[in-house]
Amino acid sequence: MDNNPDLISRREFLVQASAGAAVLLTGAATLSCSSRSTSHIQGGMVGANHQAGHKLRNIPALYKLPISERLTTDVLIIGGGVSGLSARRWLNQKGIRDVLLLEMDAKTGGNAAYGKNAISAYPFGAHYLPIPDLRNKELVRFLEEVGAITGFDTKNLPIYSDYFLCHDPEERLFINGFWQEGLVPEMGVPTSDKQQIKQFFQLVDEYKQAKGADGLDAFTIPLERSSRDEKFRQLDTISFASYLTEKGFTSPFLQWYLTYSCRDDYGSTLETTSAWAGIHYFASRKGQAANANASSVLTWPQGNGFLADQLRAQADSPIRQNLLGYGLQRSATGVTVQACDVATNRTVVMEARKVIVATPQFITKHLVQHLMPERSTCTGFHYAPWVVANLTISGLPQGRGLPLCWDNVMYDTASVGYISANHQDLRDNPNKVITYYKPLTDEEPDVARRRAYTTTYEQWLTQILDELEVAHSGITAFVSQVDIWVWGHGMISPSPGFIWGQERQQAIQPIADSIFFAHSDLSGISIFEEAFYQGIRAAKEAMKAL
Amino acid sequence: MVSEKEQFIAPPGLTSLHWLLLVSVFVIATCGLIYELVAGTLASYLLGDSVMQFSTIIGVYLFSMGIGSWLSKYLDGNLLKWFIRIEILVGLVGGFSAPLLFVLFEYVASFRFILYTLVGLTGILVGLEIPLLMRILENQLSFKDLVSRVFTFDYIGALLASLIFPMILIPQLGLIRTSLFFGLLNIGVAGFLLYRFSETRSFRAGFTAVLLASVTMLTVGFVYAERIMTYAEGVTFQDRVIYSKSTPYQRIVLTRNNRELRLYLNGNLQFSSADEYRYHEALVHPVMQARPNAKRVLVLGGGDGMAVRELLKYPAIQHIRLVDLDPGMTSLFQQNETLVSLNKRSLLSPKVQITNNDAFSWIRQDTARYDVVIVDFPDPSNYSIGKLYSTTFYTELEKRLAPDGVFVVQSTSPYVARKSFWCIRNTLATVGFQTIPYHAYVPSFGEWGYVLALRNHHWRVDGPLPTGLRYVNTQTIRDMLYFSPDMAEVPTAINKLNNQALVQSFEEEWAPYGQ
Repeated sequence: MDNNPDLISRREFLVQASAGAAVLLTGAATLSCSSRSTSHIQGGMVGANHQAGHKLRNIPALYKLPISERLTTDVLIIGGGVSGLSARRWLNQKGIRDVLLLEMDAKTGGNAAYGKNAISAYPFGAHYLPIPDLRNKELVRFLEEVGAITGFDTKNLPIYSDYFLCHDPEERLFINGFWQEGLVPEMGVPTSDKQQIKQFFQLVDEYKQAKGADGLDAFTIPLERSSRDEKFRQLDTISFASYLTEKGFTSPFLQWYLTYSCRDDYGSTLETTSAWAGIHYFASRKGQAANANASSVLTWPQGNGFLADQLRAQADSPIRQNLLGYGLQRSATGVTVQACDVATNRTVVMEARKVIVATPQFITKHLVQHLMPERSTCTGFHYAPWVVANLTISGLPQGRGLPLCWDNVMYDTASVGYISANHQDLRDNPNKVITYYKPLTDEEPDVARRRAYTTTYEQWLTQILDELEVAHSGITAFVSQVDIWVWGHGMISPSPGFIWGQERQQAIQPIADSIFFAHSDLSGISIFEEAFYQGIRAAKEAMKAL
Repeated sequence: MVSEKEQFIAPPGLTSLHWLLLVSVFVIATCGLIYELVAGTLASYLLGDSVMQFSTIIGVYLFSMGIGSWLSKYLDGNLLKWFIRIEILVGLVGGFSAPLLFVLFEYVASFRFILYTLVGLTGILVGLEIPLLMRILENQLSFKDLVSRVFTFDYIGALLASLIFPMILIPQLGLIRTSLFFGLLNIGVAGFLLYRFSETRSFRAGFTAVLLASVTMLTVGFVYAERIMTYAEGVTFQDRVIYSKSTPYQRIVLTRNNRELRLYLNGNLQFSSADEYRYHEALVHPVMQARPNAKRVLVLGGGDGMAVRELLKYPAIQHIRLVDLDPGMTSLFQQNETLVSLNKRSLLSPKVQITNNDAFSWIRQDTARYDVVIVDFPDPSNYSIGKLYSTTFYTELEKRLAPDGVFVVQSTSPYVARKSFWCIRNTLATVGFQTIPYHAYVPSFGEWGYVLALRNHHWRVDGPLPTGLRYVNTQTIRDMLYFSPDMAEVPTAINKLNNQALVQSFEEEWAPYGQ
C-alpha cells in the first residue's frame, strides 16, 4: 500500500502540534517525556478472566456457594480450548451425544482467542497451522471437513484452499535498516555467519529424514509418534544452548534466529528450551500438498479461532460457558463434579460416567486435588507469560525493503514481531490491524507473570510503540486503537528433560478408568496439532471405558 | 442628481491629488489586464488549445468591458462612493477568479459556463472603472487633458501588466497568488480613495469593515495558495499538472500540454488523450465483435469510463456494471467537463451502474452472470493488485460468466514485460480457459498486451464492428493476433495468491524503465 507522504507530514504536523500544545499547557514538567502523544489511541486491557481461574486457589470458599442445579451426563468435558473441543467433536462423530462441555470463560477456543472490529478480525493467540504430514490422517480429515482441503490430486496429495494458504509475501525481517525477505538474517550478515546458518539447516534436513532403530521418524507431529530411539531422546536432556555450543554454532545471527524461534514457538529461550524441542520445531514439518510446499501454513484473519469455531460447530452436544469446574470426586456411578457459575456465584453439581479434563496442568491440579494430592506438587510444567496486542492502524510508515508481509519480525527486539491480521483479506484496505506478540522471557516466568499482571495499559502501550517506532518511525500517529491481552500462562515451555521425562507421562495417565486428561501441555509443546491429538486420544480412552 | 455631483469638491493640493488619481488609473489598468491574462492562461492550462482559449477569453472580456462602459451611464449620485464600491468588487471577483476556477474545475459539470461568467463579470466591473473615474475628474481637467492623461496611464498600465505577467508574476507567484495579489491592489485603491477624500466620511465606517474583510480573505487565500494547487507535482511530471487529488486508495493526477491530457495514478500513466482510443478500442472490440449480442457486461476497474464509452457503441447491450475501487475516480469522470467529453458522458448513461468496491470481495458476493467481462485493472505493480491476476480471482470470475461468456484482461506490455504477459496468459489457461493473446501498439505505452479468455472455442475475428472506430477493424484484429519473435511465448510460473509470481516478474521487467 502506498502511503501518501503528504498525508504523513500533515498528520505528523497535527500530532506534533497537539503534542506541542499539550506541553505548553501542562508545563515544563512534561518536556522530559516522550514527545509522541498517545491520547488519540483508544482501547484497553482485554482477555481471559484470570480472576475466575484464580478462584481455584481458594476451593473451600467455592464449596460454600449455594447449589442451584444438578445435572447428569455420560461424558463431561472440562475446558473449551482446542483439546476439549477436539474431544467433543470426536465423541460426537462416534455417536456419543450425551456430552457436556464446561468452559470457565465467556467464549470457547482457549489460546485460539480472537477479536473483531470494523477493519478485520484478529487473533489474540495462536494464529496459523502448518500444512500437516499426510500420516496425521485425523487432522487431514478435519481440514477436509472444514474446507481447508478442497480435494486431492491424481497423486492423492491434498489441494489446499487458496483462501487459507498464507498469501505471498509471507515473511520479512527488519535488519540493518532494511526489510529483507524471509526471517533468516541475510542483509548485512558476514559470510562466515551465513556458512554456519547453512550448516544448521543442513543438519535440520538430516534430522527431518532421520529414523530411529524402531523405524519411526526421529521428529514428527504428534510428537508421541516420534522414535523412542535413545540417540534422539537424549537430546531432551540438554538445553538447546548447550547443544549449539557443542556443535560449534556460535554465529550471533544464527543464535538470534534460533532464540527468536524458541521464543516464538515456546515462549522460552535457548537456555530454557530442550535441544530435542528446539530441533523438533524445524525437523517435524513434513507436510505435503498438491499446491503448496512443506513450509506452507494455513492462516485466517481470526487466526486459529477459525479452527476452534469449526471444531465447535462440528458437534451439537451442549456447552455451558462461565462455568468453572472443580472438586472432582469419585461416585458410585462415576464422577461427581462441582462447578461454579462465575456470573451468578452459584454451584452446579454434575454426575458424569466419565470426565475428560481438558485444562492446563496448573488448573488440573486444583480440580483433582482430592483424588491425586501429589499432582499439586508437580513442578515440571512451566508456562511462559505472553502479551499480545492488536493495533488498528490507518497507515504504516516504513523504510526501505519489502512491503508489509503476513509475518513481520524486527531483529534483536523484545517482541517476536507482528502479523498483519488482514493479510488473507483480499480487499485492498489502507486500514489494517496488526497483531503484536511478545513472550516475556527476560525474567523467570513467575516474576515476569506477576509483573505483567501489575503493568498498566499505558505502560504496555509505551513499550509496544517504542519498539514499533524503530522500524516504523511515525507509526504512533496512525494508530487508532490498541487492545492488549496478557496471557499469564501463555504456553507450556519444553524445558530440558521435560518432554521425555516421567512427569509428563504420569500426568497423561487416567484415574480409575473414569477421569481422562487432554491438553497440549501433556505433549510439552503448545501447538494446535498436539491439542487436537491429545483431545482425540483422551476421547478414545473415555469411549473405550464407557 | 446634478446638485449631488457638484457636492464633490476637490480637496486642497489639487495637482498632487490629481496625480494620485492618475496613478490609480495606472493601477486599475494593470489589474484589469492581469485578470484577463490570468483567465486566459488558466483556461489554456485546464482546457488546452491556448489559441482558442486566449482568443475567446479576450473577446468575452473586452465585450464585457463594453457592457460595463455602457452601464456606467446608469450610475448616478455619489460617484466616488460608486467607484470605491466597484473597486472592492473588482478586487474580490478578479482576485478570487483563479483560485475559484481551480477549485471548481473538479466539481462542476459545465466549467466553461463558470469560466465565461467570471470573465464576463470581471470585464463588466473593469469596464465601469474608467468611465466613472473620468466623470469624477471631469470638472478638474479640460476634456482633452482628461482623455489624454487617463488613457495614457491606462495603456502604460496595460504594457506593464503584459510584461511582468509572464516574466515575473507566473514564475514567482504562480497563477493563484498573482490573481489574489492584484485583488489586493484593487482593494488598496479603494482604501486610498476612501481615506484621501473627506466627503467619504459619512460611509467610511461601513466601507472600512468591508475593506478589512476583503483584505483578510485575499490575504488568507494568498497564504494558503499552495494548498489549492501543489506545485511540487510540477517537478515530477513533465507537463502542467491541472488536477491532483489523494484519495484513500491512490493519487490521481491530470496533466496537460498543447497536444494531450494525461491521467496518472500513483505516478503511473493510465492514458493519454492523444492515443487512448487505440488502447480502449483494442480492449473492447475484439471481445465484443465475437459476442455482438451481449446484453450484460461487467467492467472491472476502468473508472475512467473509456471502456464503457466503447461498449455503449453496441446497442444490444442493456446493462453495464462498472466496479471500481475508488469513488474519487468515478466521480471525477462523471463530473469534470473535460473528462466527461473524453469518455462521451459514458458514466452518466442510464445503462451504466457504478459500484465503488474492491473487485475481489465484490465478485465473491455478486450473483449475476455476464456475457462479457472487461478486466481493466492497473498493472500488477504491487501485491494488492497482484491478487487480481491470480488463479483464485479467475476462478471466482468464471462463476460470474454466462454459459457462452467471455472476458478480456489487460495484460501489460508483452515487449517490455514478456514473462509477465505470458504469466497472465498461462495463469488463465491453468484455470481452464481457452485463451487468445493479442497486442496493439499504443504510442504512449508502446506495445500493449491483452488476453481473451473463453470457456469454449466459439470465437471469430470477423464479427460486426460499430462504425466510426479509428483503430480496430477486422484486419487490425487479425494483425493483433500475431506475436513477433521478440514477444513470443515463454514458459512462466503460474500466478497464485501464495506465490505472487506475477508481481515479482513485473518488478524485474519494468525496473530498467524506472517504473
